Amino acid sequence: MREANYTRREILARSGLGMAGLGLAGLFSEQGLLAPRQAAAAAANPMVGKSPHFPGKAKHVIHLFMNGGPSHIDTFDPKPALEKYAGKELPTENLRTERKTGAAFPSPFKFKRYGQSGIEVSELFSHVAESIDDIAVVRSMRADVPNHEPSLMLMNCGESRLVRPCMGSWVTYGLGTENQNLPGFIAMCPSGYPIKGPQNWQSAFLPGVYQGTHIDTRNEEVDKLIEHIHNRYLPAGQQRRQLDLLRVLNEQHAAAHQNETDLEARIHSFELAYRMQTEATDAFNLSAEPEYIREMYGRGLQGRQMLLARRLVERGVRYVQIWHGQGQPWDSHDDIEDNHRRLAGECDQAIGALLKDLKQRGLLDETLVLWGGEFGRTPTVELPKPGSNAGKINGRDHNHYGFTVWMAGGGVKGGTVYGATDEFGFQAVENRMHVHDLHATMLHLLGFDHEKLTFHYAGRDFRLTDVEGRVVHDLIA
Amino acid sequence: MRTLATRLALVTTFCLAVSAAANAAEVDPDGVAFFEKNIRPLLVARCQECHGEEIQEAGLRLDNRTAAFAGTDGMPVFEPGQPDESRLIQAIRYTGQIQMPPDDKLSDEEIARITEWVVRGAPWPEDASPDDADGEAKQTPTSPEAIARARAEHWAFQPVRMPEIPATDASDWIGNPVDAFVLARLEAAGMTPSPRADKRTLLRRATFGLLGLPPTVEQWSQFEADDSPDAYARLIDRLLDSPAYGQRWARHWLDVARYADTKGYVFTEDPNYPYAYTYRDYVVRALNDDLPYDQFIIEQLAADKLPELRERTALAAMGFLTVGRRFNKNMQDIIDDRIDVTTRGLMGLTVACARCHDHKFDPIPTADYYSLYGVFDASLEPDELPLIVEPDENESYQEFQAELKRREEAAESYQREQREQLLAGARAAVDRYLMALLRGSEASDSGEDDAKATNPIVLERWQEFLAKTAGKDSAVFAAWHALAEVPAEEFSARGAEVLAELAGAAEQPAEGEERHINTLVREALTERQPKTIDEVAACYGELFRQFDKTWAELREQHKDKAAEQLTPDQRQLHAVLYGEESPVELNDRAVRRAFSIPVKQKIERLQREAEAWKKESPNAPPRAMVMNDSDRPGRAHIFVRGNSRRRGAEVPRQFPIALTGDQRQVFEDGSGRLEMARLIASRDNPLTARVLVNRVWMQHFGEALVRTPSNFGLKGDRPTHPELLDYLAARFMDEGWSLKKLHRWIMLSATYAQSSDIRPECQATDPENRLLWRMNRQRIEFEAMRDSLLAIAGRLDASIGGQPFDLGAQPFVPRRTIYGQIDRQHLRSELRIFDVASPDSSSPQRPETTVPQQALFLMNSPFVVEQARHLAERVDTSDTAEAIRNLYQIVLTREPRGDEASLAVAFIESAEAEGSDPHEVDASADSDDSSADEGDRRRRRGRRQPDRLDRWQQLAQVILLTNEAMFVD
Repeated sequence: MREANYTRREILARSGLGMAGLGLAGLFSEQGLLAPRQAAAAAANPMVGKSPHFPGKAKHVIHLFMNGGPSHIDTFDPKPALEKYAGKELPTENLRTERKTGAAFPSPFKFKRYGQSGIEVSELFSHVAESIDDIAVVRSMRADVPNHEPSLMLMNCGESRLVRPCMGSWVTYGLGTENQNLPGFIAMCPSGYPIKGPQNWQSAFLPGVYQGTHIDTRNEEVDKLIEHIHNRYLPAGQQRRQLDLLRVLNEQHAAAHQNETDLEARIHSFELAYRMQTEATDAFNLSAEPEYIREMYGRGLQGRQMLLARRLVERGVRYVQIWHGQGQPWDSHDDIEDNHRRLAGECDQAIGALLKDLKQRGLLDETLVLWGGEFGRTPTVELPKPGSNAGKINGRDHNHYGFTVWMAGGGVKGGTVYGATDEFGFQAVENRMHVHDLHATMLHLLGFDHEKLTFHYAGRDFRLTDVEGRVVHDLIA
Repeated sequence: MRTLATRLALVTTFCLAVSAAANAAEVDPDGVAFFEKNIRPLLVARCQECHGEEIQEAGLRLDNRTAAFAGTDGMPVFEPGQPDESRLIQAIRYTGQIQMPPDDKLSDEEIARITEWVVRGAPWPEDASPDDADGEAKQTPTSPEAIARARAEHWAFQPVRMPEIPATDASDWIGNPVDAFVLARLEAAGMTPSPRADKRTLLRRATFGLLGLPPTVEQWSQFEADDSPDAYARLIDRLLDSPAYGQRWARHWLDVARYADTKGYVFTEDPNYPYAYTYRDYVVRALNDDLPYDQFIIEQLAADKLPELRERTALAAMGFLTVGRRFNKNMQDIIDDRIDVTTRGLMGLTVACARCHDHKFDPIPTADYYSLYGVFDASLEPDELPLIVEPDENESYQEFQAELKRREEAAESYQREQREQLLAGARAAVDRYLMALLRGSEASDSGEDDAKATNPIVLERWQEFLAKTAGKDSAVFAAWHALAEVPAEEFSARGAEVLAELAGAAEQPAEGEERHINTLVREALTERQPKTIDEVAACYGELFRQFDKTWAELREQHKDKAAEQLTPDQRQLHAVLYGEESPVELNDRAVRRAFSIPVKQKIERLQREAEAWKKESPNAPPRAMVMNDSDRPGRAHIFVRGNSRRRGAEVPRQFPIALTGDQRQVFEDGSGRLEMARLIASRDNPLTARVLVNRVWMQHFGEALVRTPSNFGLKGDRPTHPELLDYLAARFMDEGWSLKKLHRWIMLSATYAQSSDIRPECQATDPENRLLWRMNRQRIEFEAMRDSLLAIAGRLDASIGGQPFDLGAQPFVPRRTIYGQIDRQHLRSELRIFDVASPDSSSPQRPETTVPQQALFLMNSPFVVEQARHLAERVDTSDTAEAIRNLYQIVLTREPRGDEASLAVAFIESAEAEGSDPHEVDASADSDDSSADEGDRRRRRGRRQPDRLDRWQQLAQVILLTNEAMFVD
């Protein structure tokens, strides 16, 4: 029987490799020796940090997806002219949306001017509004059709129907990630999936590693958040010893097969994985946050999601997408007043806190925050349809002709309003910005020429913006 | 530089243009000058960014005369002399649907200038002819000349001919003709091949390569002991004969066939393909039987049309077409996917690129895409898929059928019941609908109570119905229309009067007027003498309720003859409730719309349950996911810019011209699918065999001869060894399209048997190993990895075929991974992480990535841990040295070296020692602990460390995870 303090160094010494072997296998964590191996790993690890086409201000993206389609008229695009026609037909024809709509339906919410810029925001987002001078509100967004599925695909993947990689995948493909111990692209959605599920964060024809890692934020324990992050069968010390042995065996094997980068990369990946176990646990451990920060975000699920986003970005995760909830929570075909109030009530404080927190940590400059849905909603009331709104006439239909998104941080010009919808908010008329333009602009902020971030597949070069897209420089500081 | 070039080009064009224009009598020189001065610069500045040489938004190009006058979508964008008729002018004025430039309207002055230009007849000098332009003629790859040139010159379009076998110096190295081609290139580059790999390496290479499994210890010792010269050749024979071969190679084919067990997103429909597995099983069987590849293709595309099917199960082959994603039931996208898998999957031709426009690089006009579209558009999936095995009329099958029927009946009867309830409700509520419509027309934003009690679809029907009867000539509703027009405040005064008038008119129709009022209606109203319109409605309501009761009684008594019992007046009421135009008699489609959401959801749930039974029940008889020709195949049309709502020219169903040239014949047999299949699986098709042998080569060597394995077009890579590719393709076809023979030619070559070690001098000259100076070391894919872990653990269930199992379900199913369910919408994370081919579209080659999530799976997943435990159980640990030796033999097919053995011993011993560390949780729980009784110890272990790995299991896991176990040398 051996002594209890038999160390892994002794194991290694007994391997017959002596100190030379130790230099390779035992001292893996000392940076000096890691350098060549990292170089080898980079060849095979597609997540290694890469430089964009030109220096971009934004290094990270947080996409707050209000799935279902929040009403722009009730949030960031005030339309007082609707009051005049309340309950009456608009003088202009109602555009064709998914369902029939009727009379003008003014917003039941109060708007107020905020900040130096004096941009008007509704009472629903009063916390977000406190950061309005860091926000660029785009009031002239357009998508292609008034249906959830294609619009979700368009917003995420730049293509309504065919299977294409989503923006998060393109960005991680282009930039890699800064922290190899965490997934580079994380999609958080509590309690399940949004409509179309993982297609929203699909890598499509890009390698599978660029697909978003889905995290169900209803869970609070890290084990349930990231698959296989913990070993339930071994204490850390014993796993470390296992990996040390694995490392020596692999080093010996590699020594006999010089210059094989694949072998080197795989050796490296076990060390990354080992560290990921601690790092990820740490990243998802919100109890490490001081009380006042947790209060600032709020104790609810959205507060937890936003705080997680900050912790992830802080640790170098490239792209974080946060979904409000499974299904399509913001789809207020009826009872919009109650529903929008409830939904905004769930996330306003948390989003406001995220913006302030990023800023106070100096992270906002390099983090591009995007808020929005797949489309907006009609300024006219939705007429009843069997079952869909239970005969209630107090909601709004989908509207892809005009809607609002906003961006903050990452080189965005704060305190600006870009574009406008018509006087009732039915369609974008001034400086219209298609989703492709939004993508082109975001990629520009990240340092990419959207026409050059391409991937060759099935005979041609594909890109996020396909053959469209225009960088809107007015949104860039 | 670019600016200068552009300017030069402009100047040249301008000079040429002016001279050309000067010759053309009808062009007025002032107009041309006006154009050059005012219009061309404007087009350059404001339009050509999106409508120029590089980009043609909406298919419109405004940088030369021909293109600009051609307009877009087959229509001009301006009418010379008629600005108001010109789409271009409407667009820049922002008066039409299209507003250009999209974000920044032209100034009024600029708009005026362009308008004037159109008024002047849109003078625009002729373009310089292409030959004169900038030297390089700009021809599209789909012009007739370009197609002819590509057919004559592009390597992949040339007929496959058996090349001459080259002479080489070091001919003693050559094992078979494959080597001659390889050696010739190596020698030309001044290089030599690598030495032959040792026996153990070859055994592992061939076994992994053909079976996706490691050799067993017995196989290893047998092979090592076999000194006969043909030992290796017999090894290959044995492997090719193993059923595991089909299980391994079918997976390669399923990548190409974008196989999955589900449809992808289809809203509320059942997302499963209950019979996709029959296609998967067909592929496994076809490969094991070495079905000739040409027949394999024909069956996959057109088994339904073969005059003689070799066996019924061959129908399942057509899953190749039908297991793709369903794109939420969008037919155009489904067909696009089928065109892609057929052309790119079988011929390496990217035809799908021509969906919206002519192919940008290859000789594939968009018309050819729609010719194939026509083939698939005329091929339908039958509602009832054919059985491929005659079900045994045994008990389990009957149980299955009974349950299926029960579930289907549950869905149908619920639907019937709901329909009846809905319609009966509507028949009994005529008054409510009448009032709802009346109120609705008075106050459109109504939120009144009665609106809630009406069904919107029925309401819509009532609205249409009443509109039709509004002419007062309706016997039943004339009174209603007349009374409804009486203002409410005058009703008490005038109602009776109107009523009397109606009644009188009915009794004594005026001269020449045929005015009949239904007697029952008249009597009911006269009797009731309504004071308000509400009472009128109530009167109608009651009348219809009464009538419906009477009708029910008549039905009861007289059955089918009930209608004969009706009086003419009753017949009119009957028509309102049950007639063809009745507002309360809805067809199936309308009824489905009219159901409330909860009802709809329940119907869908019941239907899904019935559908799911086919998947859940182990007794569901297998069916083939076939297609059949439509009875009346429609005409095929081009969709302008891929938009199905914009039909362009009609095109015949026929094969792409790139592959037929002048010999093209229009398909005549139904959809043309079989004709298409025969042209693909033809000795004369230059692509099919080349693509296939290239893919097989790629699986063996890790890299292909043509490194763009699904793009043999003009932008694809050229083969590294063109003659070798042709040699294999020609021989493959000439010797019966046999895959097993092809494997032998490749695997029995000295090229294949080379060592994979890197030789620095060769690495320096040819780092990508294009010249094949060694074998590539390859990481095993996910399926081979999982199967190997199971095999090494002694747990592998090698059974063949059947419904898919859940890869995540515990206890883990030890079947081969090819039988694991592939859900394309929720692709399991380990499949994604380990680079399994995306089932979204045909995938010839998997990416190979190395990421920490892979390591996490291997370190921590219950699946790997379980296999480590089983592996440890396989060795007898009473003798440490022997146990370690056994582990190495089982996992790595070799003996441990001395240093490896001592490392392992040290690991085992130190683990034992560390196990007693009080600060660490007990690892070696099986170590001595005599102070506690057995039960107590077990309880404590159970509580604290239920699943703790012991030291041998830990060691087993380490060896499983080594690079050596996961790579094939």
